[in-house]
Amino acid sequence: MPFRQVFGQVFPLELAIALTVFALVLAVMAAAVLVSWRKRRRGEPAALREHWHVVEGAYAAALLGTAVFLIVTSFSANSRDFPRDPKPAVTVDVTGYEWCWKFHYAGSAVTVTGACLQGRPPVLVVPAGESVRVELTSADVLHAFWVPYLDFKMDAFPGHVNTFTVTFPHAGRWIGRCAQLCGLYHTSMDFWVQAVAPSAFRGWLAAGGSAAGLTAAGVHGR
Amino acid sequence: MSTGTAAAAAPREPVGLIGWLMTTDHKRIGILTLATGFVMFLFDGVLGLTMRAQLARPGQHILNTQQYNLFVTMHGTGMIAVSITPFALGLGVYLVPLQVGAPRIAAPRVTLLGYWLGVAGALLLVWGFLTPDGAAAGWWGYTPLSTTTYSPGAGMALWIAGVFLAASGMICQGATVLWTLLRMRAPGMTMLRMPVFSWTMVVTCLMTLASFPALLTAMGVLTASRLDPGLLTGNAWNLAYENLFWFYGHPVVYVMFFPFVGAVAEVIAVFSGRRFFNYTGTVFALLVFAALSMAVWGHHMFISGQESNDYFSLTSILLVIPAGMEYFGLAGTLFGGRLRYPVAMLFALAFIPQFLIGGLSGIMLGTPSVDYAVNNSYFVVAHFHYTLFAGSVFGFFAGVYFWWPKATGYLLDERAGRVHFVLMVIGANLTYLPMFFLGLKGMPRWMQTYPASSGFSTLSLVSSIGAGFIGLAVITFGYTVYVSSRARKPAGPDPWGGYSLEWLTSSPPPRFNYNGQYPIPVIRSFTPALDLRQRRRPDQPGRAEG
Repeated sequence: MPFRQVFGQVFPLELAIALTVFALVLAVMAAAVLVSWRKRRRGEPAALREHWHVVEGAYAAALLGTAVFLIVTSFSANSRDFPRDPKPAVTVDVTGYEWCWKFHYAGSAVTVTGACLQGRPPVLVVPAGESVRVELTSADVLHAFWVPYLDFKMDAFPGHVNTFTVTFPHAGRWIGRCAQLCGLYHTSMDFWVQAVAPSAFRGWLAAGGSAAGLTAAGVHGR
Repeated sequence: MSTGTAAAAAPREPVGLIGWLMTTDHKRIGILTLATGFVMFLFDGVLGLTMRAQLARPGQHILNTQQYNLFVTMHGTGMIAVSITPFALGLGVYLVPLQVGAPRIAAPRVTLLGYWLGVAGALLLVWGFLTPDGAAAGWWGYTPLSTTTYSPGAGMALWIAGVFLAASGMICQGATVLWTLLRMRAPGMTMLRMPVFSWTMVVTCLMTLASFPALLTAMGVLTASRLDPGLLTGNAWNLAYENLFWFYGHPVVYVMFFPFVGAVAEVIAVFSGRRFFNYTGTVFALLVFAALSMAVWGHHMFISGQESNDYFSLTSILLVIPAGMEYFGLAGTLFGGRLRYPVAMLFALAFIPQFLIGGLSGIMLGTPSVDYAVNNSYFVVAHFHYTLFAGSVFGFFAGVYFWWPKATGYLLDERAGRVHFVLMVIGANLTYLPMFFLGLKGMPRWMQTYPASSGFSTLSLVSSIGAGFIGLAVITFGYTVYVSSRARKPAGPDPWGGYSLEWLTSSPPPRFNYNGQYPIPVIRSFTPALDLRQRRRPDQPGRAEG
């Protein structure tokens, strides 16, 4: 799952740059207040200078340098988000609809859904540590598949399939949400991602993908 | 034009309420536009406060899910289409002819038409909001949610019509302000002698004229889909709508920003006792900024998975260069100045770091890898409220406190204004800073309510308390206006020691802005009023007062 790693590299870097810039601007403002206070005490007039081309040029160059650095960082991060994926361990067709999710495991008869409005969100079962290709679409309006843990979301469009690959590094359970306003029960469109040991996953899939199958495979269900 | 014969020959203008509503005086049209925008600001603000009340505690249902979607849609659409954009253009309608030394605005009836289209748009939006099936598809109106299949009610149709009319009105006003700037300047007022505020209006109007037609087209697409519901089932149409919408939706953010940065620039220069630093560089940066802003819309669509990520990341991040140059001018003016701190200056000073938070987080959103994580979460809600509220609305209030005496002839009460300012700073930061962390914790935008187990409770409560402070701040502003209008402390033509032409005429200015009593001086720079004072004080050649 490159998204979380890439975000974990890029976001702190950009945050550090942003905080530095913010601190610099505050420092200049504080200095301006101090200089003004001193001028007033000494009865000096305001400065007359209207241009300072050397500083302006150096500053513009620094801005350009920062921009180029950020652009290169952005391009490189974006290319790492979508590595060429030779062979995903499993492909899931994810369909958003008003107002829940449907997960179909390609090459099998297993389709998982839930009752989001009744407080029973569907569970997307995946093998831990293996790559999962998601083929995302919508049956009606726009939705967005968002797993906050992954630091990734993608829109689900009707009549179009968005594809991306994710990996959940270890067994666990994470909340997923809809991140596109989709009507009355937008807020109820939660789902769970449950990563289990690959052998347990295959056993579960072979057994028809039921919640009971998950328990039988030795995984604690909801 | 001030001679008795000319006045006698001129047709008598209607007086009273009719005189206001049918006026061709740009000052009145400007005040009408600003006042109507402020009424909508209060209305949409109450909607925002109601949503914050709902989100203060987990699991609350003050509003049901349908009402919440209605509120969020009207709050966003109302603030952008019929409140902050009219603030931006209304300031221009009022100030630009004064600043460039024109007796009137170009095509005043078109300007007035723009105001009335805006009023009609606002009324239709409110009407749609009050219908049983009000528009609830967000201020983007994304398809297919906004089509008849999913939003069949009359409310959505009224929303489309309202947005269309309001945008048309803004195009009318933007066109006449631009015309005034380009063709009606006083003798000697070259383009590079216009005040910084007037320059920000040049780019504002250019962006309005270039981008708002895309919104009209988008509304046309929605209208067509209401006639033929099958139209927007295809992916290409949905994507086309998104592109059209954001082709308007990004530049409009700068339409709602530039005039206020212009106001802040004027306020900071005057209260620093210095001519604006790096004027030509700032003007150039504004033009680059506006041009670039037309080429960044796709960064709103990174998560669509159908956008050219690298291209829009490139253009979006390049915005740091003109934005940084703007800040260079502001900081350079402050640094070395002799500062005075009336309320207008306090709002302008707070604008600088607060808008910066919005701007810096915006640059982060220009990186797709970051955008994937935080887009459509409360991080983005925090980002754009820092730009629009903690930035633009603060700049707006800087302008209000600065130019109120010019428009009314009396000063706003400084003590009440300071209370207003302090409450605004507390409110804005307490409301919006926690939202960054809520977004990083995974709270999605448009969330109607949340369970206690989600971990959003504490930060949401802090944010809602902050919203209460904003409410108090706005009430305090009302009180400030009330006590000031009771006291009527006369301002005189120039209460601040202003630099631009409008401070040389009376407060409020005469019907045609300048006359025999208040003539336009020889214009030699972008600070003609300052130049005039300095020539009267030969003992201090070239010295700005402070």
